[in-house]
Amino acid sequence: MNRTSPAETDGHDPGPGLVIRTDSDIGGTLCSLFWTRVQQWSSEIIIRDKHLGVWRALTWHDLGQRVMEVALALDACDFKAGDIACILSNTNKEWLFVDLGILCSGGVSTGIYPTDAPAQVEYLINNCQASVIFVEDEEQLDKVLLARSNCPSIRKIVIFDTEGLQAFSDPMAVSLADFSDQGRQLAQSDSSRWDEMLQRPTPDDLAILIYTSGTTGPPKGAMISHHNVVFQCVNGCSLLDQKQGDERLAFLPLCHVAERVIGAYYSLYTGTVINFCEGPDTVVENVREVQPTVFGGVPRVWEKFYSGIQIAIAEGTAFQKWACATALNVAFRVVDLNLAHKPVPWILRAQYQLASMLVLRNIRKSVGLDRCRWMLTGAAPVSPQLVRWYLALGLQLLEIYGQTENVGMATVTYPGDVKLGTVGRPVPYGELKISHDGEILLRGDHVFMGYYNMPEKTAEAINDGWLHTGDVGRIDEQGYVSITDRMKDIIITAGGKNVTPSEIENELKFSPYVSDAVIIGDGRKYLTSLVMIDHDNVAKFAQDQDVPFTNFASLCHASEVVELIRGEIDRVNETFARVEQIKDFRLIDVLLTPEDDELTPTMKLKRSFVSKKYKDVVEEMYN
Amino acid sequence: MAAALLKVSNIETYYGPITAIRGVSLEVGENQIVAVLGANGAGKTTILRTISGIMDPQKGSVTFDGQAIQKREPADIVARGISHVPEGREIFPLLTVKENLMMGCYLRRDRATVARDLELVYEYFPVIGQRASQQAGQLSGGEQQMLAISRALMQKPRLLLLDEPSLGLSPRLVKDIFDIVRRLNEERRMTILIVEQNANMALQVAHYGYVLEVGRIVMEDVSASLRGNKDVREFYLGIQEEGVRGTRRWKRKKVWR
Repeated sequence: MNRTSPAETDGHDPGPGLVIRTDSDIGGTLCSLFWTRVQQWSSEIIIRDKHLGVWRALTWHDLGQRVMEVALALDACDFKAGDIACILSNTNKEWLFVDLGILCSGGVSTGIYPTDAPAQVEYLINNCQASVIFVEDEEQLDKVLLARSNCPSIRKIVIFDTEGLQAFSDPMAVSLADFSDQGRQLAQSDSSRWDEMLQRPTPDDLAILIYTSGTTGPPKGAMISHHNVVFQCVNGCSLLDQKQGDERLAFLPLCHVAERVIGAYYSLYTGTVINFCEGPDTVVENVREVQPTVFGGVPRVWEKFYSGIQIAIAEGTAFQKWACATALNVAFRVVDLNLAHKPVPWILRAQYQLASMLVLRNIRKSVGLDRCRWMLTGAAPVSPQLVRWYLALGLQLLEIYGQTENVGMATVTYPGDVKLGTVGRPVPYGELKISHDGEILLRGDHVFMGYYNMPEKTAEAINDGWLHTGDVGRIDEQGYVSITDRMKDIIITAGGKNVTPSEIENELKFSPYVSDAVIIGDGRKYLTSLVMIDHDNVAKFAQDQDVPFTNFASLCHASEVVELIRGEIDRVNETFARVEQIKDFRLIDVLLTPEDDELTPTMKLKRSFVSKKYKDVVEEMYN
Repeated sequence: MAAALLKVSNIETYYGPITAIRGVSLEVGENQIVAVLGANGAGKTTILRTISGIMDPQKGSVTFDGQAIQKREPADIVARGISHVPEGREIFPLLTVKENLMMGCYLRRDRATVARDLELVYEYFPVIGQRASQQAGQLSGGEQQMLAISRALMQKPRLLLLDEPSLGLSPRLVKDIFDIVRRLNEERRMTILIVEQNANMALQVAHYGYVLEVGRIVMEDVSASLRGNKDVREFYLGIQEEGVRGTRRWKRKKVWR
């Protein structure tokens, strides 16, 4: 694998030395990439999902059929090249059929988070003037029906799962089964139409719209072309060893760039089998069943595995606790030496082999991660201590960095090349530099085309040929990139000091008792925090300590729980400077779900929203 | 606010390796009617059994009138003034109605007051008086429920534990039973802890309520607020919005706020 020399620091263009790959076999569009693979690997398995408790497999040929049916049916209902269709569903195989079907019919595909409220669905449909919408089931259908009167562009609704809708009929609505039947008949009657359609899209055509989560202002539709995706697939996949026969688990929302590009499209390019999770609640069991060989997740996933294992260890016998502690002790010493590029004495190496064989491997197997060759973490900052812990466990947890606007990876940590606290090195197929005020700028074929119908926002983002990421970062002398924080989130205290809240929040989140936290302090004399506790772990703590509680609010108000969190905050305060001390905190005493406005669909607290909504509580902390 | 006559703290009760209740705390104030609502398998009966001593909690405490009573013998707990009307009545079918009632006051020695209490029970439940010499097994479901409650009352309890009094009874009988529960609380100032699946009836008669789901309390409030709470209405009172299609089958996510 070719690597460029490390990018230079502040202000200088990394310039030439980019390594760009192309793959002439697969054509220039997602459609041609897909269809090439269908023909190349037709009897190989590409998808698995669970039906009534049993895993079933689909081959490339099956996938090709399903996609073709959708594409032809769309074509027949006057869906023209360039038209936009929305998908409102949880992550499942139909999502993929329909996404590829839309693309192959020359259209533009855009996903909507299944946790969005009807008002948000209405906004998104109108923003892109979608003409067709695919919905998962009766619950999602009801959102569209509520929004429909304000969405004149919609002319067709296709429903994946019609359970409960026997009595429902509507001129616009059709089941996916019937829709695909139409497509199948068309395939038989006009066999040349499909080939015609596949030729139509060109690499520079708009392929997908991914709406950014809109924490400040309404969501913006990032326009991503076929070339953007193919470019990322061909080049990104060369950095991470991924090939046919690999297995991964699909559970993150497909409307997010991580699961769409780095998950689904990378898998289609490399032939990695996509195992669809039964639902967001069964991830832990499904990981154990699938035993994936490659894994991509957001920090929340890694935090959950970590706290699950910690709790299991804490509930073990005295011997088990001792064994795990000893094994991890040895492992940490080895990891720290490796990270410092120092040699590992052979005695320690032997001890580590023993520890791994007897203890660590069992832990990995019990979680289902033993076969993972590498695991990615991205889309949010992660605690370096957490990464170190996974390395000790014997798992390569590699941090990557990127945005929707650069269609996936902008930096990558190569296996064996981890530097804690960094997001790796810039990808060799794109340029990365730091602006004079510390902002990370990107340039290359992986940068998107702009925001849909928002020329001013696009001009703000892509300026002078460079994508302004809105993230502040640094490149060190060895070429590792580290992200300081979102520019907008950096706090300037009343004393004029700069504080990066993400770093402090990360350390807080490393605690199994803290699910998420928001640091407040812009223009204030000192920092405070609003904390969202982890319900299960804190309830267990309260129960173990004989602290009476009833509902979630009473748990948050229990003085022992407040002291517990105070302890966690004190622990974090020890590792930060005086100006970065959290002087006070409050617990959010409402159990939040992704359907609440305070949380993003990936369960992160929306900083500005939370600060505004809990304004009174915050003011109380400063008086 | 009335002092708590009964205080349950952090109890954890197991059936073998299965955790039936994992950290339940609740309070019943003197002269209050408190309801614990939950679906099948939520752990409601287990709570009552833990209070009345039939089961011992692995962790936690049960305090009655200031005294810790967890892990004590059930007979001891009855003597202290707690009577438990079990789920499914559990009257003695081969004894007569009168004999069942006398079993209820087994520990009492004061004959005169016993006779007076018998009269009281016959006044509340006339049909029991009419069938006094009949075998209890021959009574109908509703009459058996009344017998079970009467049997518990004969012990002159300070706290009455009622486990699903509405189980298997017709709507009219359920109403009658709950009317009597209300009368007992108002006229005899009895403290009552009711565990029920029939949330509607329970919330009409109780002052305070707890909602139990899979061994954990998820909500507690005065019953008027519970009756108006969206999650209680949808999941326990069966009141659902129609939705845009005129029928809504899918369930909202529970948020318990």
